[in-house]
Amino acid sequence: MKKYLFIFKSEVMSDMQYVFNTFVGFIGYFILLFILFNLYSYLYTDSSEIINGYTMNQMIWYVIVTEILWTVLSGKRLCRKISNDVKSGNIAYNMNKPYSYIGYALFGYLGEIFIKAITYVVLAAIMGFIFLGSFPNLSIMSILAVLLTGVLATVISIMFIITIGLLSFYIEDSGPIYWVYSKLILVLGTIFPIEYFPIGVQKVLSYSPIYVVSYGPAKLFVDFSFDTFKNIFIYQLIYLLIAYLLASFIYKKGVKKLNVNGG
Amino acid sequence: MGIIEVKKLSKTFKVKIKEKGLKGSIKSIIKPKYKTISAVNDVNFEIEKGEIIAFIGPNGAGKSTTIKMLTGILYPDAGSIKVLDIDPIKDRKKLAYQIGTVFGQKEQLWTHLTPYDNFKFFGAIYDIPESRVEKKIDELRELFELDEFINTPVRNLSLGQRIRCEIVASLIHEPKVLFLDEPTIGLDPVVKENIRSLIKRMNKEYKTTIFLTSHDVGDIEKLCKRVIIINNGMVVLDDTMDNLKYHYLNKKIVEVKTKEKVNLDDTDGITVLKDKGYNLKLEVDITKKSVTDAIKLLNPDNIIDINISNIPLEDIISSIYKEGI
Amino acid sequence: MLMAVRNQFKVSLLSIKYAIMRELLNKVTFVTNIVFMILNNASFIIQWVVLFSIKDDFGGFGLKDVLILWGLSAMAYGFSRFFFKKAFSLSETINTGKLDSFLVQPKNVLLSAITTDVEPSALGDILYGYIILFIYGMNLKNFILLTIYGMTGGLVLTSISVILNSLSFWFSKTDVIADTGNSLMINFSTYPDGIFKGVVKLMLYTIVPVGIVVYIPIQVIIEFNIIKLSITILFTIFIVCLAFLVFNKGLKKYSSTNLMVARI
Repeated sequence: MKKYLFIFKSEVMSDMQYVFNTFVGFIGYFILLFILFNLYSYLYTDSSEIINGYTMNQMIWYVIVTEILWTVLSGKRLCRKISNDVKSGNIAYNMNKPYSYIGYALFGYLGEIFIKAITYVVLAAIMGFIFLGSFPNLSIMSILAVLLTGVLATVISIMFIITIGLLSFYIEDSGPIYWVYSKLILVLGTIFPIEYFPIGVQKVLSYSPIYVVSYGPAKLFVDFSFDTFKNIFIYQLIYLLIAYLLASFIYKKGVKKLNVNGG
Repeated sequence: MGIIEVKKLSKTFKVKIKEKGLKGSIKSIIKPKYKTISAVNDVNFEIEKGEIIAFIGPNGAGKSTTIKMLTGILYPDAGSIKVLDIDPIKDRKKLAYQIGTVFGQKEQLWTHLTPYDNFKFFGAIYDIPESRVEKKIDELRELFELDEFINTPVRNLSLGQRIRCEIVASLIHEPKVLFLDEPTIGLDPVVKENIRSLIKRMNKEYKTTIFLTSHDVGDIEKLCKRVIIINNGMVVLDDTMDNLKYHYLNKKIVEVKTKEKVNLDDTDGITVLKDKGYNLKLEVDITKKSVTDAIKLLNPDNIIDINISNIPLEDIISSIYKEGI
Repeated sequence: MLMAVRNQFKVSLLSIKYAIMRELLNKVTFVTNIVFMILNNASFIIQWVVLFSIKDDFGGFGLKDVLILWGLSAMAYGFSRFFFKKAFSLSETINTGKLDSFLVQPKNVLLSAITTDVEPSALGDILYGYIILFIYGMNLKNFILLTIYGMTGGLVLTSISVILNSLSFWFSKTDVIADTGNSLMINFSTYPDGIFKGVVKLMLYTIVPVGIVVYIPIQVIIEFNIIKLSITILFTIFIVCLAFLVFNKGLKKYSSTNLMVARI
């Protein structure tokens, strides 16, 4: 575990040099949110209106949280890096090193996004307060729940991105698969809560990864209940296991394939 | 009138200074500090038509900066440049039709295409009619012996083959001046030799003026009749190869192996470079002492083996770099 | 003069052709990129189906209008990324001294620098525009208008990127600014202007000229108007000229690899 923490730390340190980029990058986040703010202000004729169980304020806070997850976790770079590792055969070098490639990639990336995540959370909270003038009903309990599920959502997402990157063992370019994955997360889980979709679709979505990687933490932030938390948490654990097994399976299979081909 | 005329050329760069650590990076964002570095400082020279000239100097001496100003890549801060009577600043495009460039470390070719297709592309860049391009390619293909691989994608070629193609690509439009920036870098000795003889042949065949920078003394020794040495942005030497050698030919290196230990101290005209008891290395300034004097001093009967040689050009050059004359 | 323009055109087209040939080395990837980009764009239909199930009009736009808005934006985006991919990473080209090889050629440096690479997936964006047009209502007039507006939009996006990326001739770390500018254009261009008010709306017709390259064209596609068409075309010419001007101005400050990068 120590070595993974070391990787995490060194990535955080090297990221420090790009603090400026992080701040400027927030402008991109701000724009997206600003547009959605306008969109929902247009959608809701007055602030007391409730659509699909959400007031306008709840809607905006919901997207503030999901957008953080979506922007911070924009894993295009990670996906490409893993693809490159696979294609260049670098991944084979990692095999005889005393750590797991997946663990290395996971902690490295967590380190890379650490500062960005904190910066975005703080700035987004300020921004939301300026836009809306108030926070949702929060308690220490709910904040902790949001943080915990938020971290889990991040880890699960990274696992999925790693898995997609590892698909490069089998296909020439895994980039396009990542686009579609991230767009689905955006359209089905980021812009609206699951409740906005027809009942049938809602059922499917509540069993899908979207429930754990974006909906969960945001829902808890705007409308906390212990039952929802329990539900989301259990689902996250299950998905974490699935994601990990999937990534390891593809990794092991892929490396074997690489060996057969002589790397 | 020279084919290249450079007068009082100067160029400075502003370089950002960054302090260490996080504090340093934040500081450099908020209030960046700059240092002005004078890359080229009051450089003057003139080059005649048909010359092959070596333009050399240690890393960071201002070679590349000068060559980039001559070719219109960089704007000078002061001074004037005339290449073929064209000012690279005012008439970059006009000049480009007349000169060729090969940067040993920068590829100009499309690697997924064959040399042949690449040459065609360069033909289009220089607005050369199709039929003339083909004739030119045929001619150069013979001169540079490209037959074997002219239809193989560049990425599958060896480094030596690639550089040959780079040179050919720069010759498609029959430039009057060719700038070669480290053309033999990274090549093995045989290929280097091959490239050198091609450059020589080309110079003879087309009377192309060649402006060459290189760290390889072999390139300079075998190709150039004149050397300009630049250091810290200033010309420290501009002379013929013969003069350069002659100046230092007055000094001989004498290496001897002796039966018995000799204790020898520096005397006027003889400097002890190395003394390992039985092995000695002396430098003899023959304007002051003859080689025989040195041998006498060692006692000829005591000598087992002796080797008398000139100072290698490499050492001459590096001593000029160090002295900075 | 005319000859020079023709020759320049020939070289740029040849450059793009060679870049396409490079991408075609792997045909499977080329095609997957295009197909997935179409799917990627199509995913946003979901968003609007959901929104229109709640309200039937967004700033005067119906579902069909939003679709054509998306189609046009995708086309403009695709046009710029396919033909001028390198315009979007121009600051890197500038900072790493890669302009050198273009500067020694007797051709326009900016055009040479931005036409050396193509983005295959962007072809998916262009195709998506035409696919949407089929849903919206395909006829010769719409086809021509969409094509013209795809090109003007693409040229404007490219020009904005060139202008912002050219800042790195003067300052360091401008790539983030350029990226932000680009995402500003793209994000706004996929939402109807009716949902914005006041200052923002004014901005969309001035410093973030989404209005001129997307909103006005949509109006023209819905109801043809020659004056509105010429506004967009004139603006495009203006900003293209501005891009050349800024770039050429910056070129005087170009410092190649400078002393910062050690040559090994």
